[in-house]
Amino acid sequence: MHSESRTIALSVRGVHLTFGKGAAAVPVLRGITTGFEQGEMTLLTGPSGSGKTSLLSVLGCILRPDSGEVEVMGQSVARISEDARTRLRLNRIGFVFQAFRLFDSLDALENVALSLRLNGVRRRERMERARAALSGLGLEAKLRCKPNELSGGEKQRVALARAIVHDPPVILADEPTASLDSAAGLKVAALLREVAEVQRRTVVVVSHDERLRAYAHHSLHMLDGQILEETK
Amino acid sequence: MIALAWRNLLHDRTRFAVTVLGIAFAVFLMTFQSGLLVGFTLAASRVIDSYDADIWIMPRGVPCFDFAATLEERTRELAQGVAGVADTGRVAAGFTVFQKPDGYRQTVLVLGSDERFAGAVPQVHTGLRRESALVDETDAALLVAGHTPAAIEINSHRGTVAGITTGFSSFLGSPYVFTAYHDAVDFLRVPPEKSMFILVKAVHGQDLAQLRDRLRARFPNYDVWTSSEFSTRARKYWLIQTGAGGALSLSAILGFVIGLVLISQTTYATTMENIEEYATLKAVGASRGFVRGIVLVQSMFCGACGAALGFIAVDPAANLARALVTWVFVPRWMFLAVTLATLLMCALACTISIRAAIRVEPGRVFRA
Repeated sequence: MHSESRTIALSVRGVHLTFGKGAAAVPVLRGITTGFEQGEMTLLTGPSGSGKTSLLSVLGCILRPDSGEVEVMGQSVARISEDARTRLRLNRIGFVFQAFRLFDSLDALENVALSLRLNGVRRRERMERARAALSGLGLEAKLRCKPNELSGGEKQRVALARAIVHDPPVILADEPTASLDSAAGLKVAALLREVAEVQRRTVVVVSHDERLRAYAHHSLHMLDGQILEETK
Repeated sequence: MIALAWRNLLHDRTRFAVTVLGIAFAVFLMTFQSGLLVGFTLAASRVIDSYDADIWIMPRGVPCFDFAATLEERTRELAQGVAGVADTGRVAAGFTVFQKPDGYRQTVLVLGSDERFAGAVPQVHTGLRRESALVDETDAALLVAGHTPAAIEINSHRGTVAGITTGFSSFLGSPYVFTAYHDAVDFLRVPPEKSMFILVKAVHGQDLAQLRDRLRARFPNYDVWTSSEFSTRARKYWLIQTGAGGALSLSAILGFVIGLVLISQTTYATTMENIEEYATLKAVGASRGFVRGIVLVQSMFCGACGAALGFIAVDPAANLARALVTWVFVPRWMFLAVTLATLLMCALACTISIRAAIRVEPGRVFRA
């Protein structure tokens, strides 16, 4: 079914990234080339220090590669200005973090609405859309709860709502299940797959959790800054 | 942005309270010290401003009303003949010794003018007997134990404090003693052919600068000033030459600096405490303007709350202080001026915090 509409939403070609300089230089990405399709969830696995999160940062326009090409929705981003990268993150990418990164002073609804506020959506509309996003993830009873009143799974669902509420084509998730118990982790994994499949977004998930492989359309195993194995 | 800024502040209420208290103290300090400065400035020229005169003639180099010297009394008649002069009068003023019947001695500033020039300066009316004087209510307890008439001696001349007046408390710690002109010259032992200031009223519509220049040409050995010029000269003398104004100005500036340091410190601490949130904002695409706005709004909130709290304390403190320093005066415009200064202070104080928030590496959001 998807073969007709296969689109590469994210791609990297020959990407190199090194942390530090001189004798302290540590290469973290060594000539990575791969692509991520629209409507698919890709799992990036590998041991600590293999370069998974660095690759995610490069895909998310947070880190700039030393060399190589990065394209987000067909736009080359490796050499665009910092402001342009910020705008790209705002409009095209949704992030889900291991530590949730919710604003403790805001309730769930406001946390999600903040994403829309940054996109310039008017207050009334952003509250409606935030409410809809949270309800869609089963959090309609938790709209006014502060993060410290939510369980880990609920927090991650709020974070997912924040990531998708402004309708970005790309979702990048860094260890989204690492801070959750087993059941909550699998629920989040299922939601991420649903976001990819049903909403036709490109979802890239970094995880140590092998159980997530079952939810991914596509897996990349990394080691020492290179892609060691690719599984469909 | 405003909601996030406000919520972040309230999230740590203790820190917020400490910040607001610190700013309130700085605002209070700035306002009160500025009130001292303004009050001092007004008091420095109050007597000059109160006489009903357009132009003052005095011996060369007299810096202010309080340190007068003598000039030829006939200057008054000569000034009367200058074109544009409607009327002339005299003022005698000087420090001398005031003595109570119990032997208590006090240095006072005796002043007296021709009655038609007295303006708002308390005047002993001609209906009272000679050698009568008035003292201000703030000095009444010291000079006459609050009761009048009271027999006294001024510069070894017998006299009577006939009444108590208001609004002219002592400026230099030496009480004012108001008398008629002829009594003032007697008390001060001014020779009959001498006076101390000649006051001039201009004819209606006369340009005062032109008249002043004509009088200067007529009296090249004397200083001739319009009332506003003499008032400014006196203020400058007390503010700048005596160093008193400098000390008061420094105190007000010190208040500003203390406030600046307090706000800088607390804003920076709050920013660093929330640095992960700024990193998250940057990671999810918040512009530098948005991040800058949050820090600035937080700082402004603290400033506004601190200013409001500080202002509440100003009036009661000023009322208390008037028991010691009678010329403390905090005009209403001072509150607006200090509010603007406080907001400026907040804007300055958060510049370092803004740099920290803007420069935070968004990649740190991937750390657990």
